[in-house]
Formats: sequence, C-alpha cells, structure tokens
Amino acid sequence: MSAAGSPNPEYVVARVRARRGSLYGDEEYRKLTRMGPAEIARFMEESSYGEEINALGSRHGGVDLIEYALNRNLAEQFDAILDWSEGSLYDLIARYLRKFDAWNVKTVIRGVYTDAEQSAVEVDLIRAGEFDDRRIRRLLEADSIDGVIEVLEDTIYGEPLREAYAEFEETDVLVPLENAVDRAFYERLLSGLGGDEPTRQYESFLVAEVDFRNATNALRLARSGADIDPAAYFIAGGDLFTRPSLARLAQNLDELVEYIGDSQYGEELGPALRELEEADSLIAFEHAIDGALLAYGDRLGTIHPVSVTPVISYILAKERETENIRAIARGKEAGLSADEIESELVIT
Amino acid sequence: MLEATNELGNLVLSTGGTLTDPNAAAALAVGLAALGAGYAERGIGSAAVGAMAEDDDLFVNGLILTVLPETIVILALVVVFIV
Repeated sequence: MSAAGSPNPEYVVARVRARRGSLYGDEEYRKLTRMGPAEIARFMEESSYGEEINALGSRHGGVDLIEYALNRNLAEQFDAILDWSEGSLYDLIARYLRKFDAWNVKTVIRGVYTDAEQSAVEVDLIRAGEFDDRRIRRLLEADSIDGVIEVLEDTIYGEPLREAYAEFEETDVLVPLENAVDRAFYERLLSGLGGDEPTRQYESFLVAEVDFRNATNALRLARSGADIDPAAYFIAGGDLFTRPSLARLAQNLDELVEYIGDSQYGEELGPALRELEEADSLIAFEHAIDGALLAYGDRLGTIHPVSVTPVISYILAKERETENIRAIARGKEAGLSADEIESELVIT
Repeated sequence: MLEATNELGNLVLSTGGTLTDPNAAAALAVGLAALGAGYAERGIGSAAVGAMAEDDDLFVNGLILTVLPETIVILALVVVFIV
C-alpha cells in the first residue's frame, strides 16, 4: 500500500476481474426482490458477503444487518484494492476512493453537530478511503467540530475546513463545512493527472461524473425553486457548466433541460430527460444518470485492459451493487412490491 | 563520446572483435530473446498470481500462460545450432 515503486496493473486487474465475476447479476436481483430481509441476509451469507454477515449477525438484525454488512464489505474490498496497488496506479485509485474519506469526515461532523452516540456514528462510516484506523478513532473521539478539524490538520481537508469554520461559527449551519470537504475532494480528484491514454480516459470519466453531479444538483435546485445560491453547490472541474452558467440555468428548469439535452451527454441522457419532462420525476433521471455512468465505466474497462480503467469500472459496479441491495432491503422494509423495487434498481 | 565509440569500433574490427564472431552474435541473440521473455513473463506472472489468489483452480492455467513466452528463448536457441 504505497505510492512508491512501479505500477502493477496486471496483478490488480486480474484480481479485480475475478471479483467482478462474483457480483450479482439479473438473476440474483430478481430472486432478491422476492425475498424478505432475513432471507436476503441469508442469501448474502452464502455469497461473497458471508464473512461480514457472520461477524455482524450477533449484534444486528434485519435491514440494519444488511446495511452494515454492505458497508463493511465495500470498505474491505476497496481497502484491499488499495493494498494491492503500487506506484502511479495507487495514486489513481486513491483519488477516487478518497470520496469515502470525504463521506466519513462529513458523517463525523454531522455526528458531533447533532451530539450523536459515538457508536451510532461509527456504524455509518465506510472505511474504504485512505484514513487509517487510528485517524478514524481519533475522529470519533473528537467531541467538538474544532477537535475534528484538528485531527484533520495534516490532510487535504485541514485548511479548507479551518477556513470554513469561521463561517460555521457565525451561521451555525453545516453547509459551509460540507462544501469545504467536497471541494477539497474534487479539487484533488482532477489535479495533476498524468499523460498516457488510459489516464486520459479515466480523467474524462471523472469529468463526466462531476458534470453529472452538477446537473443533478442544478435540476434539484431548479425544481425545488428554493432560494439557495446555486453557485455554492457548484463543483469545479466539469466540462458542462461554469459557475455563472450553472447559477443562471438553475433558475429555469426548461432551459436547463434543453441545455443538458444539447450537450455531449444528450445521447445518453436524452430519454431520461424526456421522461423528466413528461412524468415530472427526478428519480428516474437520477437513475438514468447512474446507469449512464455505469455503462460508461463498463466501456472504459474494455478499451485498455491493462490499466487503471478496469479497476475503476469494478469499483463503480461494486458500489452500484451495494446500493441496489440496500434499495431492495429498504424497499422490502417499507413494504413495496417487487415491481416497484425493481424500478428502483440500476442494472446494466 | 562519438569519437570514442568510433575508435572502439575500429579497435574491435581490427582485432577480429566480439561482434564479428558468429558465436558471440548468436549468444547475444539468445540473451536478448531471454530478456524479452523475462519482460513478458513479468506481466503475465503477476496477473496469474493475482488470478490464483482469487481462485485456486486457476493454478494450472496460470502456470502454462506464465511460461508460454519461454518458447521465444527456445526458438532463439535454434540460432545457436545454425551458426
């Protein structure tokens, strides 16, 4: 687990491809949507989630057990990938996985803000990023937001958080802190990416993800009509929007939809946009965005078989799988029918 | 630097040097082929070990694929018998 040495994509890609074979397919999802939470847990126990289900089975039950097992499995798989990779490959993968660090930081800050129990915060963390166990323990033990920032002083989040802290003290809302974390992550994500062809493809994937995130945020803002400054939610690095254009387009839903339809993503997102206009539902659009990203990831993984791209493709597919299983379990808990749950899944 | 190489070349040629000797050239050919095979096996070997770590059944396949570039060296050995 280090950024030293020469990259070893062959080894990592071989392992990742083998693991990809054990992800759930259509058949398994169809079975899962017809099971109750306990059966889902048992089904997972017999597949690649066995270890986690067994470890957590005595302490949790039902949907919580599934949720925690998914989180822990995700963390273990991604940690393993970081563990295997070396050199520039490590750097490229870590860039993407740092989003879990960002998630953890935000979760801890929210936990401190709402005075949540330490154990309640702990189960929501996904230990897949670069933070080691010691740092996470210290984060959990911090009893004020100032303390959290102190623990993060030597990371990329230290400085932006320190700057946002003043604003937080004035207004007592978490938005500036969370935006600071997000921006630190996205700034680091796209900075200084090197030059060969697979890396450029990886970069264009990351840019697409930033674009999609901006598009979703803008659509949400435009539809809610809330009086929030859209520029505050802008994430830099994308191709599609600039800060002023996002601020302008978020005021007008029709214009925004047209703008996305005419962009380079129009082909992938076109059907979803039409549906958005007809059915007036953002959920379908968000699923379409996830589906488009996943399909993009799949394609990415086959063009340069021995590079970082198949690894990223696997990471995406794995994330999607945990989200699908979570949707099934939560849907079952809420008493949705199998058909309704199936419409919530993103399967390629 | 260039002049030095030139001089070295002249020296080698005039003394009936190494590379004009067919045996030495053949040895060099085998050596280079082995280097190439080694480089190819580096990638295949690490991929094979990765695949084996996930699934033990792949041991035989991994082994066969790993030593496949070795054939280049065997073909290069033919050169030794020709000269």
